[in-house]
Amino acid sequence: MTWLFVRMKLSLVRGSLRGELARQLGFVFSLLAAVLMAVAGFGLFALVRLAPHDVALDVVPVAFAMFAAGWIVVPLMAFGLDETLDPARLALFPLTTRQLATGLFAASVAGPWPIASLVALSGGVVALAHGPGGVLLGVPAVVLQFAFCIVISRLVTTALSGALRTRRGRDVLAVAAVFGVLFAQLPNLLLNQRLAADPAGLLASAADVLRWTPPGLAAHAIADGGLAGVADLVVVAVTVVVLGWLWITALRHALVRPDSSNQGGGSVRRSWAGGLLPGGMIGAVVAKELKYARREPRGRVNWIIAIFVSAVVMFSLHGPGVSAGPTSAIGPACLAALVIGLQSANSFGIDGRSLWMNAVAFGTPRDLRTDLAGRHLAMAVIAVPLLALASLAAALVAGDATWAPAAALTAWGVLGVGMGVGALTSVTVPYTYPDRLNAFSGAAPGQGGQAFVSSFATMLAVAALALPVALPVLLGTTWVAVLAVPYGVAVAWAGRRLASGIGFARLPELLAAVSRPT
Amino acid sequence: MGDAVRTQGLYKRFGRQVAVGGVDLVVPEGGFAGLVGPNGAGKTTTLSMITGLLRPDGGRIEIDGHDVWADPVAAKARIGVLPEGLRLFERLSGRELLLYGGQLRGIPLDEAGRRADELLRVMDLVEAQDKLVVDYSTGMRKKIGLAAALLHNPRVLFLDEPFEGVDPVSANTLAEVLRRYTASGSTVVFSSHVMDLVERLCDWVSVMNGGLVVAQGPLDDVRRGRTLNEAFLDLVGARGNGEEGLSWLGTSAS
Repeated sequence: MTWLFVRMKLSLVRGSLRGELARQLGFVFSLLAAVLMAVAGFGLFALVRLAPHDVALDVVPVAFAMFAAGWIVVPLMAFGLDETLDPARLALFPLTTRQLATGLFAASVAGPWPIASLVALSGGVVALAHGPGGVLLGVPAVVLQFAFCIVISRLVTTALSGALRTRRGRDVLAVAAVFGVLFAQLPNLLLNQRLAADPAGLLASAADVLRWTPPGLAAHAIADGGLAGVADLVVVAVTVVVLGWLWITALRHALVRPDSSNQGGGSVRRSWAGGLLPGGMIGAVVAKELKYARREPRGRVNWIIAIFVSAVVMFSLHGPGVSAGPTSAIGPACLAALVIGLQSANSFGIDGRSLWMNAVAFGTPRDLRTDLAGRHLAMAVIAVPLLALASLAAALVAGDATWAPAAALTAWGVLGVGMGVGALTSVTVPYTYPDRLNAFSGAAPGQGGQAFVSSFATMLAVAALALPVALPVLLGTTWVAVLAVPYGVAVAWAGRRLASGIGFARLPELLAAVSRPT
Repeated sequence: MGDAVRTQGLYKRFGRQVAVGGVDLVVPEGGFAGLVGPNGAGKTTTLSMITGLLRPDGGRIEIDGHDVWADPVAAKARIGVLPEGLRLFERLSGRELLLYGGQLRGIPLDEAGRRADELLRVMDLVEAQDKLVVDYSTGMRKKIGLAAALLHNPRVLFLDEPFEGVDPVSANTLAEVLRRYTASGSTVVFSSHVMDLVERLCDWVSVMNGGLVVAQGPLDDVRRGRTLNEAFLDLVGARGNGEEGLSWLGTSAS
């Protein structure tokens, strides 16, 4: 039975590869990445052996714990639930939960990434083991640590899978995940300075905390190699069994719980702001875009990421050793504008399969141009005050509030350039945003290349086109900032004009590119 | 009376697979036309090309005498579409969706609002009008999709599987609205698998099979005394009667 699950997983992998070259390349790429990670992980662990033993004893538990954390977080965010792991698909088969648990465990182990993890983790034995006892205990310790990673990861996905399968649950989780990342970065930012001062101390205190967690115990068992190590391993083994039992319970629960995603759903308020918008098609597009920025989780995620990245840039550019001056206010503001502008690089992606509604109504390139203008206007409604705020914040952080106007003007100009370039990439390299938990992944299966080209080309083109105004400002000729806004508006206008001609001619292809199955 | 829809040698290929291999579809003005055919016959592909959502590899399409691909302004102003798969702007409420569609078509907001209110009432969606479309059931989605397709009062309406997955109550509402609409001289073209429904509603039938139109004309000419279902099975060639094999199936076999 267990073997059947493994074979099922393997044939799923094979099936997903059939036909499409892009997917096969993607698979080869991820296989290479897994091999690389295995070798690098093992090598890095092995290098730890060269460090003093007490440092090594600090490093390995922290690394083990990071592996476990990675196994919890990454499958949730990066891959969603893959077919073999959703117990609901197996609910109709006459399987005992024990069969299910061992089968699903075996299936989740069969894959390049778990095996790469096992190889990398076994480097821990090289790092810590001294004498035959260490090696003897090291092998089961690594296997137990590996089992711990897998079981806790499956426990979390199973427990959440009910929530993940519902739409609202996914919405909430997608937004929550962004905040999770945000908060995970917060201590990073705060620690940045401390880390530079005393890395060893920080490591030691982390290792102290993690010493009594299962990864810490496993690492300690390898280093100890004696009776205490055996006791450590017993604790880890018991933990794995308990987690496994919890997993079985969660599975049993998941198998009988109905999917209640279609119940409930409240009403939305009629918009009062509609009266403020211009009438006709452009007003309709602006209203729709603003609603989408608020209601569509991917839209929200995009905005939150933009704000978050700008905040990180703002604080990390300002540290000891960075020359103070107008540059340190204007630079971050421009980067924020660039990141926000990148959202317009695939304007139609967020509409996805519903874009047909526009396509059947558009009879001339002029209509498409109005549509793009509406999208740009909606983005400006949010981004212009946001960038003003970011400029003020950046100026205050940099030490002089009088730099804010120049920063804001330049940032608005860069935003205009971003929208102009984005209009062009939106019609030339459009791609589908996948509709699933993973709000971070760029594109539908097989379109990763387009997504990469689109955002990379936009970034380069925006940087190059923004240079004529941004560079003098950054170099100190701040009065040039006055020209930035008209320049940005002109570029955005030109971008829309070009893009509407190109886009209207290939409207069916555009539609197909953003409505791929995900 | 001219033809509302006329295609000549419409052709579309996906890779090596010929999805539509030279379709000459004709629907007379004011007709209530059913486009029937087994799965994979090319119905959806044909409708997508006629409505300008998919570029044909060859052939001509005319709606009210206007070429869809050469004169899109005139052609697109005359059509309303409900495509397959219920693809709608999920994060708008039903009412917002109608207003958005109306404004895209150049209808002033207050006029669009008036029409939307009437459509919502007829479709029995007044209570759900401020809910997001993503929370709608299949029947509600088909109804709001039809309302959006009707809002600009098109001359020709194209519906891809409008009754698929719809409960009898909603289906009845949809059918009533469509009947009233064609009674005024407008044209409806819809694809379906349900022969009973086509027989009940339509006065014109086009049967597709393997990417071709195999029969087309007034309903009575196509069925020639048989039920439409019998005529359809004869035309597409019924495959197998399910009597050979499966000897283990059923209670007595065990």
